[in-house]
Amino acid sequence: MRLICVSGIKGSGKTTLIKAMARRAAALDKPSAVIANESGEESYEDGFTNDLKVPVQYLRGG
Amino acid sequence: MGCSLATSLVDLIKKIKRIHDPEFLFIEPSEMVVTQELQNVAAMGHRDVRYQIGPLITLVDAPQFPFMWAERQRLIIGQINGADIVALSRTDRLEDSSPDEIRKVLRPYCNGIDLLSVHDSDSLEKMMMNVPEFAAP
Repeated sequence: MRLICVSGIKGSGKTTLIKAMARRAAALDKPSAVIANESGEESYEDGFTNDLKVPVQYLRGG
Repeated sequence: MGCSLATSLVDLIKKIKRIHDPEFLFIEPSEMVVTQELQNVAAMGHRDVRYQIGPLITLVDAPQFPFMWAERQRLIIGQINGADIVALSRTDRLEDSSPDEIRKVLRPYCNGIDLLSVHDSDSLEKMMMNVPEFAAP
């Protein structure tokens, strides 16, 4: 397992970049998962988690 | 990031490793977390679970940079310090300043600054190539 962290202020594109990397991982047939802070500006909607089968865990306050 | 929050994050990392064992675990912390804190958490979890760490990526929002640099400079520097990759994001929405101006301001705090725009597939591809498994044929 490789840990990849994406930091930045709200609206800087963290979720967008992570989704793009998760899609790339899926295209390579490599499973991925996400830990996101609960107050993220953009959600990991069902379409993303269902289509790519990426489990998303939320961390309160972090 | 407080001690209990760091512990919660470590527990989540272990839980995901145990249950899903994915090839990649992407972590999106809150905007207040600095890179040193992430390094500490990654090191804490590493004692019990085997995984590779990095890249640690910091996105600097280009359109908001002048305001953020004026108001929250310590946070920006904390996120840049220790990051494996620093990228200026949303550069396509810059109006009042140029990427080079921002790079000049940030140069004392990091070695290099990439550009990232979701509308520019080349910049996204370049970012992906920093992940060894994505770069390998």
